[in-house]
Amino acid sequence: MAAGFKTAEPLEYHRSFLRENCRPDGRELSEFRTTTLNIGSISTADGSALVKIGNTTVICGIKAELANPTVEAPGKGYIVPNVDLPPLCSSRFRPGPPGEQAQAASQFVADVIESSELIQTEDLCIERGKLCWVLYCDLMCLDYDGNLLDACIMALLSALKNTQLPEVTINTETGSPEVNFKKRHELRIHKHPVATSFCIFDESILIVDPTSDEESLVTAQLTVVTDDEGRLCSVYKPGGTSVSGEKLQQCINQATARQREIQKLINKVISSVKTAQ
Amino acid sequence: MPTDTKRVRGPEVSQSPSLFSAKPAAAVPSRGPREDGRQRDQVDVRPVFVRCGLVSQAKGSAYIEAGNTKLMCCVYGPKETERKDETDMKCGRLTTDMRFAPFSCPERGSWIQGSQDKDLSLMLQESLQPAVCLHKYPRSQIEINVMVLENSGSVLAHAITCASLALADAGIEMYDLVLGCSIRQDGSSYVVDPSYAEQNSCSSDSNENQGGLTVAFLPSLNQISGLQSDGEMTEETLTAGVRTCIEGCYKLYPVIQQALAKAVRKAAPPPSES
Amino acid sequence: MTQSSCDALHFFRGGGMMEVCGSSTVSLREFGCEQSLLSRPDGSASFTQGDTSVLAGVYGPAEVKVSKEIYDRATLEVLVQPKVGLPSVRERLQEQCVRETCEASLLLSLHPRSSLTLILQVLHDDGSLLSCFLNAACMALMDAGLPMSCLFCAVTCAIDTDGQITTDPTAAQEKESRALMTFAIDSTERKVLMSSTKGSFSVSELQQCIAVSQKASEKIFQFYRDSVRRRYSKIL
Repeated sequence: MAAGFKTAEPLEYHRSFLRENCRPDGRELSEFRTTTLNIGSISTADGSALVKIGNTTVICGIKAELANPTVEAPGKGYIVPNVDLPPLCSSRFRPGPPGEQAQAASQFVADVIESSELIQTEDLCIERGKLCWVLYCDLMCLDYDGNLLDACIMALLSALKNTQLPEVTINTETGSPEVNFKKRHELRIHKHPVATSFCIFDESILIVDPTSDEESLVTAQLTVVTDDEGRLCSVYKPGGTSVSGEKLQQCINQATARQREIQKLINKVISSVKTAQ
Repeated sequence: MPTDTKRVRGPEVSQSPSLFSAKPAAAVPSRGPREDGRQRDQVDVRPVFVRCGLVSQAKGSAYIEAGNTKLMCCVYGPKETERKDETDMKCGRLTTDMRFAPFSCPERGSWIQGSQDKDLSLMLQESLQPAVCLHKYPRSQIEINVMVLENSGSVLAHAITCASLALADAGIEMYDLVLGCSIRQDGSSYVVDPSYAEQNSCSSDSNENQGGLTVAFLPSLNQISGLQSDGEMTEETLTAGVRTCIEGCYKLYPVIQQALAKAVRKAAPPPSES
Repeated sequence: MTQSSCDALHFFRGGGMMEVCGSSTVSLREFGCEQSLLSRPDGSASFTQGDTSVLAGVYGPAEVKVSKEIYDRATLEVLVQPKVGLPSVRERLQEQCVRETCEASLLLSLHPRSSLTLILQVLHDDGSLLSCFLNAACMALMDAGLPMSCLFCAVTCAIDTDGQITTDPTAAQEKESRALMTFAIDSTERKVLMSSTKGSFSVSELQQCIAVSQKASEKIFQFYRDSVRRRYSKIL
């Protein structure tokens, strides 16, 4: 009976739960799904992390390569984030080049990296004007059940914290670089941005960490990214119904609390990985 | 070259740091025990870890880990075919898409699916098709998506095993499971379930009998549904190789059966005795 | 379009571009708008903010591709064309912002199973591009005569290193800024429909910028009104 109701009248189905201040999966309106983190599971990548928020799974693998810096910014390296939504993660995505949602997510991640100054691209410079690192950060969704952006930002941050770059010296005689894979060092992570997504249901009810079913029914979505100092790195609301200042403040407060929790989780997993080595 | 406008782009060219390694990687020895401690010339497959039903959105899914090779497979369908023109009215269609994550290999892969991925997709499809009761799904298609998260050799063989497990998890009617196993022949000796380094190495001492072989095997029917070989091997070596692969498949069989039984028990728990 | 050239309307305000937050006046660059300047689309508008200029065209309601059909409302597609080259990932994010803002104000359920296409062509970018896109989009939708529940306008605010807020910044001011925010404001409740930000900022800075944008939106809506009135006074 319930399954039939859900399929035939999805909006009414969700409303009947929200009237009782709860959601179909048993959560309260401002409750997050269980978030798990696994770091360094891909040995072919220079850094990797797997994030699960409820069913949503995103894996981030970082590959470092060497390149010439641009003429405009000779002392800077590159960070190239790309989000991929392969047909594997949900039946709504088609094979082929990234669709609109994947492209928008890639640009969002790139903007967050730039806005938060998570990594200073100057740190990726090896020799000014000659050689620098390129960090290819590939984010792949393996199971799409809503709230992609939160999972992506978290996977990216954890993978960058896990990344170990080999030492590079420039041979003074030949001028060519020499890479010593034995000696590796960590990246300097300056900020810890964490994204928190919200949805507005029926133009008034605010819910947090939406599932894909919820995402398809809501009237507006909102993502707030905050860093360790409580500063905002992004308040992204791509349209939808309007939000009042009061609601926005509520979102920001929740995002700040979430940032602390996630940063604690990441640090805990990172230190457990280190002690295991 | 047309620029890719659908991705955040990096510099025009970049090189892998391994090209500038101070010390070149040592060649894989062709004698003695293997790097991971397994035995040469014996049916010594890597221990596998398998799980079913990890992806909530898919009809059926499976994840397999053999040594460092990690891949997952999702099955969607059966649903209405997209390509009406070449639809066989009596029979369903099996589509496969196999992809490597850009970070899955020691050298970074490109975003765009290469010819290798397409070849592997086709071989996967051909190996699985004989095992699926396609006549039960007229005018519909079943999609199989494989994502290689980490490539540490024998990818095709594990993809076949993983895909058949995902099909079974999706409840698609099949004649039998399909198991995959591969070997690498190097002169007179061979290695079963080769790692990435073993797969791509070549000892220089003999030019004969150099090659790789992957077999897809239906264990309870005792039939081979797919066979792929490259390189140059004599007839005897090849037949011996096929036999070795079958033996390897039988070693995998109980593990796969257990995983499937576990998934079924989880999906439909037996009535509790009270 | 015979009368198109005289439809253009300009307004000037204040001497300087810089504006200290909290003061009662908000300075915007010289605005200009011209509607129905293209003959092919069902609705069109050009919008200029200082040297930033965008041309918008709306097609529809028309037949929709089966794959994109939505059974209870119209499908809106937004395409952003940069001045040179092909649209890239950056344009995709801007498209998403414009599309979802328009979706919120358009009464799409009045045209089920049909398509609306909005094309935004950049003529010149001198800062505040996203806000210019949204303003041009609103004028073009109005010109196409599509039913809307409210109008919307957009304001870009830049915070420089001293913490000063500049509304409607030029490209040079954007470059010097520490944070950049664009908000879309609706005409009925003056609430935030869309928000897109760059750089890091504090909560109070965000609130200040929203307040400034709401103030600036009054002027833009007045500009909309004047512009439309000017146009129809000639036709009628």
